[in-house]
Amino acid sequence: MAKTPQQKEQSRQARVTARTAAQNPLVAPPIAAIASLLIPGLGQILSRQTQRGVLIFSAMATGGGIFFWRVAELGRRVQGFFPSIGRALERSPGFVGLAAGALALVWLVAAWDAFLCSRNRKRPGSGVFALVLVSFFVLGWQIAEIDVVKMVRQAPEALPPLSRVIWPWSAAITFETESLSARAEILVGEGTPPTRPVPVEDEPYLLVEPNVGSMTSQDANYQPVPGTRITLSGTNFAANTETEIWWRDPLGNEFRPREDSKYLIFQTDNEGEFQLEMTMPYRMAPPSAQGPFLHTVEARQVSRVGGPQASEALKMTISRMIETIFMGMMATFFGIIFSLPVSFLAARNIMSGSRLTMALYYITRAILNIIRSIEPLIWALIAVVWVGLGPFAGIVALTLHSIAALGKLYSEAIEGIDGGPIEAIQATGANRLQTIMFGVIPQMISPFISFSIYRWDINVRMSTVIGLVGGGGIGFLLVQYIRLLDYRSAGIAVWFIAITVATLDYVSAEIRNRLM
Amino acid sequence: MLQFTNLSKTYDDGTQALKEVSFSVEPGEFLVVIGLSGSGKSTLLRCTNRLIEPTSGSITWDGLDITGADGAQLRTIRRRIGMIFQHFNLVKRLSVINNVLSGRLGYLDTWKSMLYRFDSEDQTRAFRALERVGLTEQTYKRASELSGGQQQRVGIARALMQQPEIILADEPVASLDPVLAHTILGYLERLNKEDGITVICSLHYLDLVQRYATKVIGLRDGRVVYRGTSEDIRTMTDAEFKDIYGQEAERVGAGLAARTPSSASPTGAPSSGSGSLDSGSTEGAE
Repeated sequence: MAKTPQQKEQSRQARVTARTAAQNPLVAPPIAAIASLLIPGLGQILSRQTQRGVLIFSAMATGGGIFFWRVAELGRRVQGFFPSIGRALERSPGFVGLAAGALALVWLVAAWDAFLCSRNRKRPGSGVFALVLVSFFVLGWQIAEIDVVKMVRQAPEALPPLSRVIWPWSAAITFETESLSARAEILVGEGTPPTRPVPVEDEPYLLVEPNVGSMTSQDANYQPVPGTRITLSGTNFAANTETEIWWRDPLGNEFRPREDSKYLIFQTDNEGEFQLEMTMPYRMAPPSAQGPFLHTVEARQVSRVGGPQASEALKMTISRMIETIFMGMMATFFGIIFSLPVSFLAARNIMSGSRLTMALYYITRAILNIIRSIEPLIWALIAVVWVGLGPFAGIVALTLHSIAALGKLYSEAIEGIDGGPIEAIQATGANRLQTIMFGVIPQMISPFISFSIYRWDINVRMSTVIGLVGGGGIGFLLVQYIRLLDYRSAGIAVWFIAITVATLDYVSAEIRNRLM
Repeated sequence: MLQFTNLSKTYDDGTQALKEVSFSVEPGEFLVVIGLSGSGKSTLLRCTNRLIEPTSGSITWDGLDITGADGAQLRTIRRRIGMIFQHFNLVKRLSVINNVLSGRLGYLDTWKSMLYRFDSEDQTRAFRALERVGLTEQTYKRASELSGGQQQRVGIARALMQQPEIILADEPVASLDPVLAHTILGYLERLNKEDGITVICSLHYLDLVQRYATKVIGLRDGRVVYRGTSEDIRTMTDAEFKDIYGQEAERVGAGLAARTPSSASPTGAPSSGSGSLDSGSTEGAE
């Protein structure tokens, strides 16, 4: 049915009138601006820009509310409204000033926006919303305790441990060592001087002269009083080898004495002999300690024997890494076994037969969604309560999550099956089993394999962190190393995680590509 | 003789796809079913081998009651009836040869077929069937790698494996390039003429109907509204055709339309598949 030009013109005018009537502002521009100054957004609502008004009002309300909450938090130790604001301003002037400024600016711009809304009868630009974003950014900066200054200032301190994590390989190898040492006793206080040991052929021997003396101590004014100078002479040590001096007090505590605040380390000469002078070190003695004490001084040589070996950290990391990969594999394996039957229950096309099966379908889907929405880390925390610390807890957690995730993916693969080939196979006179084998399985096999490999990839990745909460595997080891401040060993673990995950990522993507 | 008596089908949602349809098909006929989409053609073909269960009425085949057959009987009947489809319905991830061999499933022991094991006799038969449709070179390719026309020829080879007495063809050329239509229907015609296989086929284009049908049934809203012999069809005008068929009816193309009613061989069709059709016909005619 064609319209005459007159009819067209009439209908166009009708549309225009309808639009202007609906958009006609209720108030004049200045009143709209004042309304927005009283309650942000009110002016926009009165100008028939209800959505915009509500948005501006809720943005201002949220921003203002958060601002006053943070200010109250900053000045919480001070009584009274103004004193607490003063305290907040004193504690963090930048934040309070900026945030207050931004919010005030939003307030004013909202009023100007209301003025424009009323005057132009159409929406002005979105500048006011950009300002809202800026004020929320300022608030967020303070709430999230972002501190760039601290980050820069602490960088030099963090550098040594970080560099150990980044390049940890010096801790990956160790050498077997052999130690060669000889001791001599020194008497402190009144008593019989210790007898000097008799030198034995081919064994290192240490002589200390004199073997009676006093330790470094402090006088009444806490000024150091140097101890007796002693001369150590050693024979029969390994030639040209680094040698350390160790001290053992009567309680059996060993420490390395210092001379001019440096540890005593020196090289023996060609005959394996040395001579050294030192001051007897400072050692705090309990006030009750009276009478003679025997201190022991020891010269110790530690030398490498044989070639480099894998360190304990490297061996532990490799064994935990293998454990981790197998954790992921077992969890995937169990996940596949359990999710296969579940996936049929969660496939709409299989379950659409009756009301009962549809109910079962919805229940299965709901359970799968709930299990899937809880992260494996949380499942691991629960599993640790159930089966105790260790890899099995991790496997339980990953299996639960895999069942839910694979169940969903598999069921979607089942839902995506093309009915045509099934019909064609049936038409040849094939029975039910033959139809499944020729019509159904060839269609499902590649998505099934592809999803399963993808899941294995995810599970190994997850099992590297699941140890953080006690689920076994390499994460457990990593957390231990970090808590022991053993950053080199932690670094080795991090490297192995990265290498394994990257390799697996590549391999699984490659396999899936070839299957497609 | 295939006898349809008062065949009706009502779907669960209440759609009446077939209403008291009765007709018979003589052995060796090329019966074409025409009608709008939704007129019940597909339902009728699928009721013939009971991919769809008819609601009432009966189909008998030389005294054998198809509609009353139980599971095992039905499978024996189905394997004597080959079927090809509009969307070919090949198992896309299987190789061409496995798709063809799957046509043999009705004859096979279940457990052997579970392992995709086919005896050498069946394999020879499959190679011959592929040779006949000119696809020897594609034997080990995946079905999904083939073009539409080639896939439909695999569908024909699969049906051939059943050594069928009847072939049901549900819109076999509707998803193909019009020029390929003659290639595919040419194969069906040869199976019909050389092997004496009865063909029941639903078609859209009047030229094709005139060229290949020996008998026509027109369906509208599930009822038979037209019955015609080959002579009736040849003299049928577009207006008559449209009357049964509705607005959808079209000629394939002016060039083809001018020659098809008189041309005896489908090889005149200027299609890429026609070359292999020639070689297929000489080899397949032995």
